[in-house]
Amino acid sequence: MILAIETSCDDTCAAVVTATGEIRSNVISSQGIHDRYGGVVPEIASRHHLELVGAAVNDALARAGVGLDEIQLVAVTQGPGLVAALLVGLSTAKAVAAARRLPLAPVDHLHGHVAASFLADPGLEPPFLALIASGGHTFLARVDDRGPGYAVLGQTLDDAAGEAFDKGARLLGLGYPGGPALERLARDGDREAFEFPTAARMRGLDFSFAGLKTALLYRVREMDSGELQRRRADLAASYQRAIVEALSIRVERALEQTGLERLAIGGGVAANGPLRERLTGLGARISVPPIQLCTDNAAMIAGAARDVVPLPFPEYLDLDVYATGERALAVAG
Amino acid sequence: MRILAFDTATRSTAVALLDTDGAPALELRDDPPPGSRPRHTALLMALTVRALDEHGIDWDGIGRIGVGIGPGTFTGLRIGVAAARALSAARGIPLTGVSTLRSLASAAERAAGGSSVLAVIDARRGEAFAAGWTAVGAGSGAAPSLAACALPPGELAGRLAGLGGDWLAVGDGAVAFRETLERAGARVPADDDPLHLVSAGEHCRLAARATPGRIEEVLPDYLRAPDARPAAAAATAG
Ligand SMILES: [Zn+2]
Repeated sequence: MILAIETSCDDTCAAVVTATGEIRSNVISSQGIHDRYGGVVPEIASRHHLELVGAAVNDALARAGVGLDEIQLVAVTQGPGLVAALLVGLSTAKAVAAARRLPLAPVDHLHGHVAASFLADPGLEPPFLALIASGGHTFLARVDDRGPGYAVLGQTLDDAAGEAFDKGARLLGLGYPGGPALERLARDGDREAFEFPTAARMRGLDFSFAGLKTALLYRVREMDSGELQRRRADLAASYQRAIVEALSIRVERALEQTGLERLAIGGGVAANGPLRERLTGLGARISVPPIQLCTDNAAMIAGAARDVVPLPFPEYLDLDVYATGERALAVAG
Repeated sequence: MRILAFDTATRSTAVALLDTDGAPALELRDDPPPGSRPRHTALLMALTVRALDEHGIDWDGIGRIGVGIGPGTFTGLRIGVAAARALSAARGIPLTGVSTLRSLASAAERAAGGSSVLAVIDARRGEAFAAGWTAVGAGSGAAPSLAACALPPGELAGRLAGLGGDWLAVGDGAVAFRETLERAGARVPADDDPLHLVSAGEHCRLAARATPGRIEEVLPDYLRAPDARPAAAAATAG
């Protein structure tokens, strides 16, 4: 039985997963206090993690119906993410593991997102193409085995896809996080009303969303408040379509180039309905985890830990976190 | 009863084990020189496990945990408090928070020769975290005559002058703001005096006299509102 803790951003997460990948509990404590700042404030997030992480662990154990005695491995997100936030999880995990002299598995957050697909779809066998798109990262990877190392085929050169959603939502006067709000508003809009850039002419498999955000900004500036009010849904729908297209075009290219026939998606943006729909139409066998495994969660960290060599007690006591550097990922080629 | 205590509010990482039957505290510590980075993450649990090993005991041999709740560096405080809360929960060991300022002052009181004691921690950004006790106050649990606060050193000096009396100022903040404090009449021991270092052994002594409450109530005393700037989105996970 694996107990996992994830505190890399603003959700305080704990989960219990069995060695065979059965999710016994998956607790996500959303802080929901970053709206008014228009983004995650590291110091506020870290303070909340400290207040919430103990309860999240207790909750995960209780919902799984197990005690610490039944836990054989502690897993924790080591990076990438907000350093101060990661440290709360790592310090907690080290102490829980040391208190029981258990081994500890340090997990790369991005490896976790890919591992979520294995949890959601036990029949999923490499090789496959993985698209991970969230507020922090957007990349395409070729998954040849269960990890932790993957070959990155393309990644964003500027904003992440989730960030593009958040920034667009902000320009349209929606709250944070912007993805779900923008998706709701877009339902009443015409996605062909405006033409936004998808960087389709950019060759290769890298992403770029900075131009898209700027294009929306100009559109919004051109309108007076009455027109903006009338056309908000159209703007949202067209903007969302551009993000979906930017992602899908590259997924399509990658499938062609690699000859892979399976696609797994993950990250918070993978919860987006139109994106799921569009990718399903590409012809590849697609593995779409349920939303609670797409957004940040600890079950995926426990899942990834199954493919990490754990550090025995006391070898992990001096472990530190890392902010950047996708250690699970190696650029292909 | 055996007490384990640690503190990560300043650059130092300090861990101590104290047997309340009377043997002196065993203290393991790391004191990086000014300007260098603290090593709380790398050393806190490593020193804690080493202290247990040197005493030849396991967690069951610990009757209480005392953790420094600051004020001090936010990240350092969270590393210490997160570890303490998790250890306490995982082993069912009662936990109590110890004010880092009170502990500094309490340790200094014995050397103070009747003067009042001001504990000062460098709060960075040109400010100091400080609290002051008159007579034998800090160790006895008395309320401070200068309540814990975050102030520019000039203002702190003004408050001292207002209170009057002889002050002994200790802590890394007393070293950092020596000139200002000395001008206000406070006595500051030499830079390398051990009184400036937070003692986890002193935490043990204070924890021994405290009444442990609920784990959830043990949280850092930040003394400052968080800086409310959103992260550069590229640095966030999500
Ligand atoms: Zn993520």
